[in-house]
Amino acid sequence: MASLGSFLLLAAFVTCSYAAVVSVVGARRGSRRLIESGIGAFYLVCALMSCASAVMINAFLTGDFSIKYVAHSSDSVQPLFYKITSYWGGLDGSIMFWVFLLSVFGAIAVYVNRERYRELIPYVVATISAVQMFFLYLTVVHKNPFSTFLTGAPPDGEGLSPLLQNFYMAIHPPSLYIGFVGMTIPFAFGIAALITGLLDDSWLRAVRRWTMFAWLFLSIGLFLGMIWAYEELGWGGYWMWDPVENAALLPWFTATAFLHSVMVQERRSMLRVWNVTLVITTFFLTIFGTFMTRSGVVQSVHAFGDDPMLAKLFTGFMVTILTVSFGLVIYRLPLLKARNELDSWASREAAFLVNNWILLFAAMFVLFGTMFPTLSEAVTGERLTVAAPFFNKWMAPVGLALLLLTGTGPLLAWRKSALKNLRDQFLWPLTAAVVTGAGVMALGIPLWASGLCFALCGYVVGTVVQEFWRGGKIRRKNTGTDMVTAIIGLVGRNKRRYGGYIVHVGVVLICLGFAGTGQKKDLQVLLQPGQEAKLGRYVIRNDGVKVNDDGAKQTVTAYLPVFINGKQVDTLYPAKWYFRKHEQEPTTEVAIRRTLAEDLYVVMAAPPEVKDQSASLEIFINPLVNWIWIGFGVIALGTGIALLPERAYSFAVARMPVEAAATTTVALMVAFILLGGTTTFAQHMPGAARDENIQSSYYARNDFEKQLQHEIVCTCGTCGHANIGECRKDPCGTSHLMRAELATLIDQKKTHDEIIQWFVTKYGDQRMLGAPIDKGFARLAWLVPYLVGASGAVMVGFAAVRWSRRPEHAAEAAPAVDAEIDERINDELRDLD
Amino acid sequence: MTHRYIKIGVTALVLGLAFSGMLWSTLREGTEYFKNVDEVIGKHEEWQTKRVQLHGYVVPGTWVQRPNTLDYKFKVQNNPARGVMPGGVVEASYTGLLPDTFKDEAEVVLKGKFDSSGHFRVEKDGVMAKCPSKYEAAAKSAQAGS
Repeated sequence: MASLGSFLLLAAFVTCSYAAVVSVVGARRGSRRLIESGIGAFYLVCALMSCASAVMINAFLTGDFSIKYVAHSSDSVQPLFYKITSYWGGLDGSIMFWVFLLSVFGAIAVYVNRERYRELIPYVVATISAVQMFFLYLTVVHKNPFSTFLTGAPPDGEGLSPLLQNFYMAIHPPSLYIGFVGMTIPFAFGIAALITGLLDDSWLRAVRRWTMFAWLFLSIGLFLGMIWAYEELGWGGYWMWDPVENAALLPWFTATAFLHSVMVQERRSMLRVWNVTLVITTFFLTIFGTFMTRSGVVQSVHAFGDDPMLAKLFTGFMVTILTVSFGLVIYRLPLLKARNELDSWASREAAFLVNNWILLFAAMFVLFGTMFPTLSEAVTGERLTVAAPFFNKWMAPVGLALLLLTGTGPLLAWRKSALKNLRDQFLWPLTAAVVTGAGVMALGIPLWASGLCFALCGYVVGTVVQEFWRGGKIRRKNTGTDMVTAIIGLVGRNKRRYGGYIVHVGVVLICLGFAGTGQKKDLQVLLQPGQEAKLGRYVIRNDGVKVNDDGAKQTVTAYLPVFINGKQVDTLYPAKWYFRKHEQEPTTEVAIRRTLAEDLYVVMAAPPEVKDQSASLEIFINPLVNWIWIGFGVIALGTGIALLPERAYSFAVARMPVEAAATTTVALMVAFILLGGTTTFAQHMPGAARDENIQSSYYARNDFEKQLQHEIVCTCGTCGHANIGECRKDPCGTSHLMRAELATLIDQKKTHDEIIQWFVTKYGDQRMLGAPIDKGFARLAWLVPYLVGASGAVMVGFAAVRWSRRPEHAAEAAPAVDAEIDERINDELRDLD
Repeated sequence: MTHRYIKIGVTALVLGLAFSGMLWSTLREGTEYFKNVDEVIGKHEEWQTKRVQLHGYVVPGTWVQRPNTLDYKFKVQNNPARGVMPGGVVEASYTGLLPDTFKDEAEVVLKGKFDSSGHFRVEKDGVMAKCPSKYEAAAKSAQAGS
């Protein structure tokens, strides 16, 4: 299998080089057949990479430990889910996964745009192929994920660190990769536009959706990394300006800048050089981030190991990117001249421009801070570092300035805002800002930086609400419907604009969370049994530390009742888990009492003093932190709306009765918020202590009961669909009842299926069944590599058949033109309003 | 036209100066020296006044906790596995919670200052132990192989 994988990678490399060469030659000679052949080869790369991925996943699933990569990053007892995610878990595989994603995205982008941007496509193919060639070269020559042991294979793999066996950690890297890889598509179109000289705004139209899509996944990737750090690492925070974190943040800044400045070019044909530069910079920063984290250039607590050879290859590649891209920009400067000049600083384009400068400054500053140790070593010979406070000091004003512009930009008119207009527009947002500011000052929050941040949040929300309100009012008058329908129609008509405003609301919520950090409190204590600690309004008592063992791990759990004003409100169970094989690496199970106002966050130190039942604890109060996660949910919602295909929304609104449309949208929003809320359950409950509390809370008495408790989901609605084995929070009487029912049924010696059937009958539908029933999921997962492989093979066959056919029905695709022209006209009409 | 360029130039100059001034002042208080253990051994007087990030590896079996407190003591050295001879050890003390990844032979970065006896006092939250990234696996095997 390993040699098949290596062969597939090699074949992909060869096909890639063919695609690159033949596309360029075809475009230069104007030969349609050569170009088609290049596109075909490009699809073939996608097929080959799918096959190679299938081989890789198969190796992980079957535990083929003769492959070094498989032996290093998995073992036989690892849960199935993590076996699959191990594909992108290590350095070698992550590079291969990168190529796989790029080939899929590239194929989709070319397929979608091949008719509309016929002149650009050959160069898009060539550019993406060149990037693929670089990464394939890395995998084939330097980091072959399929390389095998020369001598005998080890009997079992080394396994994955338990810290990383976490759901967020499994999906965090692919989300980031999708964001990173997605940025290649705009870059390829930008380069193609530069080469062909077709520098009107059409290439932007092809890429803005891709940029938005990649930006969304980059944001989600950042969010997952943050929430993982917050829940799993147990230092009470979520961001520490580590180089690896910064690497992911850098392209996010420039991509955000691009998403804004692209509108200026569409509207006013300005900032053309700037936009091309931003696309190139964003792509460069994705490559640079990859380089930074994998080459050992930057010292980081989670650097991925140093590899001078890789560093050299990457440096060469980056220099090539910069020289070629900016060389092309300089060559095309005459064509990139702006058609308009800035009329006034009180205009929306000026606001966008300033926003761009600040975002770019933020990117450059973070880059500078990240590279500072390397720079200082190169200049002075001393390795100096800067830490989080330095970044925070600088980034706080930057963030506030951005927030100010977020509120200001939408209020300004294009070209020039008249004075009367200004007063009219700014009155309510400014009032909102002043009221919020005064409110938080009255609460005793210092003006700099939290107070100001809150005031600006009020300002932005004021702006967004005013925009929706005024737009809705006009539309209501024109269409004669009610306000809700009018606003929904408004969003449907201009999804990018109003989706963007929703994203702004998400940004505001995130900023609320950041501002809350200013009021953070923390306390380190060692509590003897019975002792109490006080932090803020909470009093925490140590009721003892208990040791449990569930076969896979030993758990040490502290029992900590929490009191507010002398009344017990909760019990927290911070723990340390010692996994078998990884006893040296205990994992921290943080206990978090989440509320919208603040989190009470308790960590237990390792190693706990089990003998005398004392617990050394670090207790944090993190105000408003949950708004960050909710804010990311809102951002995803807004971007989703902006990304909806043109027809989807109008179709939905047109065919549905008005009320239904309104309810659906509201329901969607609520569902989204609830989804965001499912993360509320971060506290792991202490393991089932046998023969303890059986009557009071129905802990599982045997494996059968335990299994069923984990298959049936609590229907109380407050615990975010935890299963009844885990939903043991006080307010939730439902789970108690359901566990009692389960216990009775088990006592009646019912079988597994009978019990499930009983619950389905009683609670109406299958909603209460825990989602991934292990068996079914396992079967499905086993199918994945074969399905992927089969589809890859089908694609190869399809390509072969198609190419071997004579080109007699070339002019077949005529009927599609109408729809295409329609869409184009729609696009242009939309831009006019 | 020239008038306009002068205006732009002056603005840029003022902004640039303000920026570099702020950068200079924040960098002076914000920077820390990043040093390996062997670079500071025997030279602690020289480093006494400066904030240092000390990079090293925990010497196995040297870390102890004072009973019923959060006071820890341990020793760090250069990584013997990477072919750097263990030139000596630095004794460090710390009060607070240690991260999960802190263990014998763990790669750590300590923030703090030396006292006059050459003892390294780690500041609050100043212990960073290397995150057990998945990417580490390759490096680990390379060490094991060598």
